[in-house]
Amino acid sequence: MADSDKEHLHKELPVIQPTEMKGQHYWKSLRQFYNDPSAIEAKAHEFMEGVVDDFKLSNLTDMSRRKFLALLAASASFAASGCSLYQSKGEVIPYNKEPVGVIPGIPDYYASTCSGCKHACGILVKTREGRPIKINGNDEHPVSKGKACARGQGSILNLYDPERLREPMKKDGSGFSSVSWQAADTAIIEELNKAASAGKEIAVVMNTLNSPTAKRVLDDLAAKYQTVKLYSYELFDDLTRQSAWTKSYGAGSYPLIDWDKAKLILSLESDFLGNEGNTIENARLYTATRNNADLKNFSRLVVFESGMSLTGMNADLRLRLRPELQYDLVMSLLNEFVVKRQTSRYALDKGIIDALQGYSIEKFAAESEIDPKSMDSIISYMAKYKNASILYAGDRLPEQVHVAVNLLNDVLGSTALYRKDQSEAVILPYSSLEEWKTLVAGMNSGNVAVVVHLGTNPVYHLPKSVGYADALAKVPTVVTLSQTESETSAASDWVLPTNHDLESWNDFKTRTGFYSLQQPVIYPLYVNRQKEAVLLTWAAGSESAYHDTLYHDYMMARWEKEVYPPLRLAVGFKEFWFSGLDVGVVSFNEQAEGFDSFNVAAFTSSVAPSAAKGFTVTLAESYFLGDGRFANNGWLQELPHPVTKVVWDNYAALAPATAKELNVDYNDLVEVTVEGNNLKLPVWIQPGMAEKVVAVELGYGRTHAGTVGSDVGFNANILQTSGGAFSQWINSSASVSRADGTFEIITTMEHHSLDNKLVENMQFNRGIIREGTVEEYGKEPNFIQQERKEDEPTTIYKNYEYNGIKWGMAIDLNKCTGCSACVISCNVENNIPVVGKDQVKVSREMQWIRIDRYYSGPPVEPRISLQPMLCQQCDDAPCENVCPVAATTHSPDGLNMMVYNRCIGTRYCSNNCPYKVRRFNFFNYRHHFDGEYYLKQPAPMVSNPEVTVRTRGVMEKCTFCVQRLVQAKQDALQEGKEFTGSGVVVACQEACPTRAITFGNVNDKESEVAKLREHPLGYYVLEQLDTKPNVTYLAKLRNV
Amino acid sequence: MSEGSYGEVIDYTKAPPLLEGNPTLSKIDESIAAPMEKFPSKKYFMALSVTLTMLLIGAVALGYTLYYGIGMWGNNIPVGWAFDITNFVFWIGIGHAGTLISAVLFLFRQRWRTAIARFAEAMTIFAVMCAGLFPLIHLGRPWYAAFVFPIPTQHGVWINWNSPLIWDVFAVSTYFTVSLMFWYIGLIPDLATMRDRTTNWFKKKVYSILSMGWRFSNRHWQQYEKVYVILAGLATPLVLSVHSIVSFDFAVSILPGWHTTIFPPYFVAGAIFSGFGMVMTGLIIVRKVFNLEYIITTDHLEKMAKVTLLVSMMVAYAYLMEPFIAWYSGDPVDWYLVLMRATGHYAVGFWIMVTCNVFIPQLFWFKKIRRNVAVLFVISLLINVGMWLERYIIIVTSLYRDFLPSSWHIYVPTIYDFGVLIGSFGLFFTLVLLFARSLPVISMSEVKGVAESAHPTHIGVEHE
Repeated sequence: MADSDKEHLHKELPVIQPTEMKGQHYWKSLRQFYNDPSAIEAKAHEFMEGVVDDFKLSNLTDMSRRKFLALLAASASFAASGCSLYQSKGEVIPYNKEPVGVIPGIPDYYASTCSGCKHACGILVKTREGRPIKINGNDEHPVSKGKACARGQGSILNLYDPERLREPMKKDGSGFSSVSWQAADTAIIEELNKAASAGKEIAVVMNTLNSPTAKRVLDDLAAKYQTVKLYSYELFDDLTRQSAWTKSYGAGSYPLIDWDKAKLILSLESDFLGNEGNTIENARLYTATRNNADLKNFSRLVVFESGMSLTGMNADLRLRLRPELQYDLVMSLLNEFVVKRQTSRYALDKGIIDALQGYSIEKFAAESEIDPKSMDSIISYMAKYKNASILYAGDRLPEQVHVAVNLLNDVLGSTALYRKDQSEAVILPYSSLEEWKTLVAGMNSGNVAVVVHLGTNPVYHLPKSVGYADALAKVPTVVTLSQTESETSAASDWVLPTNHDLESWNDFKTRTGFYSLQQPVIYPLYVNRQKEAVLLTWAAGSESAYHDTLYHDYMMARWEKEVYPPLRLAVGFKEFWFSGLDVGVVSFNEQAEGFDSFNVAAFTSSVAPSAAKGFTVTLAESYFLGDGRFANNGWLQELPHPVTKVVWDNYAALAPATAKELNVDYNDLVEVTVEGNNLKLPVWIQPGMAEKVVAVELGYGRTHAGTVGSDVGFNANILQTSGGAFSQWINSSASVSRADGTFEIITTMEHHSLDNKLVENMQFNRGIIREGTVEEYGKEPNFIQQERKEDEPTTIYKNYEYNGIKWGMAIDLNKCTGCSACVISCNVENNIPVVGKDQVKVSREMQWIRIDRYYSGPPVEPRISLQPMLCQQCDDAPCENVCPVAATTHSPDGLNMMVYNRCIGTRYCSNNCPYKVRRFNFFNYRHHFDGEYYLKQPAPMVSNPEVTVRTRGVMEKCTFCVQRLVQAKQDALQEGKEFTGSGVVVACQEACPTRAITFGNVNDKESEVAKLREHPLGYYVLEQLDTKPNVTYLAKLRNV
Repeated sequence: MSEGSYGEVIDYTKAPPLLEGNPTLSKIDESIAAPMEKFPSKKYFMALSVTLTMLLIGAVALGYTLYYGIGMWGNNIPVGWAFDITNFVFWIGIGHAGTLISAVLFLFRQRWRTAIARFAEAMTIFAVMCAGLFPLIHLGRPWYAAFVFPIPTQHGVWINWNSPLIWDVFAVSTYFTVSLMFWYIGLIPDLATMRDRTTNWFKKKVYSILSMGWRFSNRHWQQYEKVYVILAGLATPLVLSVHSIVSFDFAVSILPGWHTTIFPPYFVAGAIFSGFGMVMTGLIIVRKVFNLEYIITTDHLEKMAKVTLLVSMMVAYAYLMEPFIAWYSGDPVDWYLVLMRATGHYAVGFWIMVTCNVFIPQLFWFKKIRRNVAVLFVISLLINVGMWLERYIIIVTSLYRDFLPSSWHIYVPTIYDFGVLIGSFGLFFTLVLLFARSLPVISMSEVKGVAESAHPTHIGVEHE
């Protein structure tokens, strides 16, 4: 305290009287106490200066309240803009201007056509915000009728394949360098001009050409460059069948079969349900005769084959027969009917009778070691159903077998089953082996200047003896138009990226009477172009002729000029065109090819193919990789083989006895030699194989297929024979020997020792498979229910009552052929990851639905039972009560739910699931598989946005496509309708070509599934456990 | 025990002394405290380096597992559990003998327990720690492990009380808590002794805090004895409940080979069996290494061998009942599983298990073998092997051959499975070694209580 202050205090210190204190004389400060003038002055004012007296807004701040709030908001949003939202990590782009008809979150469907194989089925593409996410069949398509096969559905992954070619490339030393389309087109057009003017051949190589407009484009190209020659092929073609029909009936094509009217189907080395013809249609028509409500028209399928095929799995009677003996079989049957039983007018034909001398059923039975009783039963059946017994020879059998089969069908009157309404349309016939040899000779001699591959891969496909790959090196200019790299693109000078189906325009004519239209559902992802548009550019002679809608305009113009006028429609072209695109199919009247009488001259007694001495090698197309074009598709590689359940490999399938003879076991290598070409293959022991036959699938062993598909399996294409006595795919003079080493084949179903008595008939003893015969069912329709009674569980608990909707499924085992389309459909719908061979090896495949295959009977002639197995959505689900965190619970509509967010991954639920349908993410599979292959852009785009992508450590399983159920419920709610659960379709059901799967509300007594639950053939798997499953299986009936 | 030589009068009504050589009380204190007061020997460091290496192997294996996922192990579908839960059940089993020896034998006034109780209890604690690790790391997403506790959240999601895994959480954590308390209460007088003995200021601080002001007063002893008996009473039912509940993990499921009512007693017997095996292994090493043969006498070991023989036969009974019931029920699934266990891919493991757990312990019928420490040691190791295999066989064989043959698949462990198993042994023995250096492995106060000098006699009659 300063001295002056002290003085002040002492001087003026007043005496404080106690009374004053009592009078509540409070003082605020010493200044006030001593009556400082400033304090007295201040006392006059209630507030400090500037607070009240001269209160002006402007004194405080020049900011208005409004401005303050605006600034506050702005700064808050400015601050927020600095935060990183998770959306900013990816690209979440809202529509700036919403396209007409696109509502975010609502899928759009477009009709188009799949060109995954030559059959070009109609498809319906589901897109979300312009992004295709699923391929289904198009209901309007007259052949596929709303269904798409496994390959077609899986092909959506090829669109988003990260290794699709993105820009044109030119050979540059040993590698390739990127070029512009302009540069590529200009250079190629120059080469074409040079070749044409020098009179040197321009070879255009393609697979089946089934688009009339594309054919027109090629014609234009040929008009511009006179030396253009077209070549087409398939790895597995129908040339022998074709030529047999031309000989037998003088027809340009062969007829389709009315499988649905057949009473007896005799399939000779033919896989018509799995690989030959349009299998979607074949399976649908065939299973129409396997209707348990129509026992009268129940067909009988008898299969004579050497390997175990998908068709063979479905046979009522399957007999092993080496392919060389197929001719004897048909001839003996002919002998039986024509000579012995004097059936048909041919009984008087001397030529035929002479030809049939020396064949008899007894002799055949002795030679083939087939039980004569089986033959008797087949013959009596054939005699009984004369006009409804169809013999069908496989495409791989030689011509004389086909001719003999044609005659036998004629003898039996089975020509009634040849379809009259429709026949195959051939736009460009396949090139014969001779033509290929001429081409190769030209290539070698320098007569071929340019080779253009239109999406084909002949370097990989054509038989080695043709010498295509070597000759190609001598061609000055090789151009390959392809979506992905291939063995052929690697051997080319120019590689041009082309469009996926879903980016393309086209029209397809595979049969008489209709066109199937292909329209793009997404703009080309890269600078890739449609191959027809590239050809048109070349045909125009200048690279500047190209524009985005080149082929589209061309096709519309052709349709307007050629297709539309003859239809004589009342609507204008535009309306016609858009309605055509809307439906995807344009039908018109066209006469199917007719067939006259059998040309007897065609039937001559030819020498039977050499009887088997050595080994016979049979080659077949891979069920899911096709000719190898789907090799880079992880979903299809991981789809278990319908018969062996092998994934990610091909193998040499051998009969158990043959394996014993060669002293080999599973996974041992054998060396197969055909015409000097040898290949080491791992052994797969297949029950039901004919002895001394080696069955191998093609489509594997690719060297330039991409990261996923390269070096998977073995390239057995080199075992094809050219000009062999039998056929390109069957060689009966092969040699097979044991080789050193092993190679592990991976399967999703463990193979057990075939003679293990312990596991014999386990599927029946345990109440997994129930089946009977048609006869049994006819006599006692309740035989399954009587069987079920033995396993009937009792409980002391009261069942939960489901009063509203209760979801349920029924699967008709009579109709399931094991085609596996449902598995892929589920994969695509539910974002199932690819796990890779190493993970399937340790049994960690992720598919939510699988097709179980059980053998019964002796290993030499096994019977097969198939069973699609998915989550049974048990009412008393054993998985639910063991989850510690309630991550799997039951919904009031009967679903066994899986809450991924809550799951901590104890795996107890899976342990306690008797059906073992739960799948665990042992790794973050998208990270784990092949160097994060399916995380590379744009692969994740294939994901269905309605379904969570599961992380590692989480259990998952079939949900009955709960996203679809919820959507349907929501739609009904919005439309103000009562939701009965009708009309909801789940992914597996959607895909099933034979409609074996029924789904719906079991509480709706009108629903189909409710009726099937009460069906006399209905049963549940493992019902003795009283888990109360909700998937009803309808027992298979065998017609034996 | 002294051999009754000719001419000497042996009083068969009197139990042989529990300590050999009538040691003085101070000698007891000294020899028990010795490991803590001397600088550890080379042998100790060698042992510790071995166990730490094992622990490190486990840490690396576990690190990979946590980083990449459970896929590093051999587990698959159908074999969702394998080494992980096998180890869990195995270690829980090991943790059983401790409580049994200390609590149950205490209640039955089996005074021979004094020499081995502390060690057995410590083993219980460490074994339960090892066991507790496995339910945590076997999770697909261990970072969400807290979901198993009833923690109220805004989501309103509750745990599933129906799940045996939730029962496990509570059974094991209760068991651990009570065992820890029991062990700690028993330690207090010894901690005080150590406090009084030590000259190191740091040790003194630690022991002082831990001994909670124990002054060996009469009043302290009275309260101590009361608490101890109450805790023993609490721990005894837990011996039965924990392993019963662990067995529910299997018995409550519907899987063949798991769904069996015999499991609770079978598992408890197995746990006691394996626990005694492990305690024997540990004690034989400890008495040898720390020269405590006169406290942990051959008599102790013989008594343990007798108990082991008894529970071995109980286990054998369960082994017999399993196939019998499977056969008697007529259930083809159960019967097939029994056959697969004995003849399938894991048959070697099965027969080793039967040999180790049933046949070899039958040697304990012979007194010579019961008293031969070397043989006892080998047998105790074999029992450990057998009991680990028992859990492995129960878990893996039931899963790999369940209802649908279509999904059957063999299980093959990976190096990461073995790594984690080795790591758990590393953790266990590291803890045991650290324990032996820092706390009295034998209860000083109790051993002193059974010393002859603690019981003044008058012409052979004990003063009560």
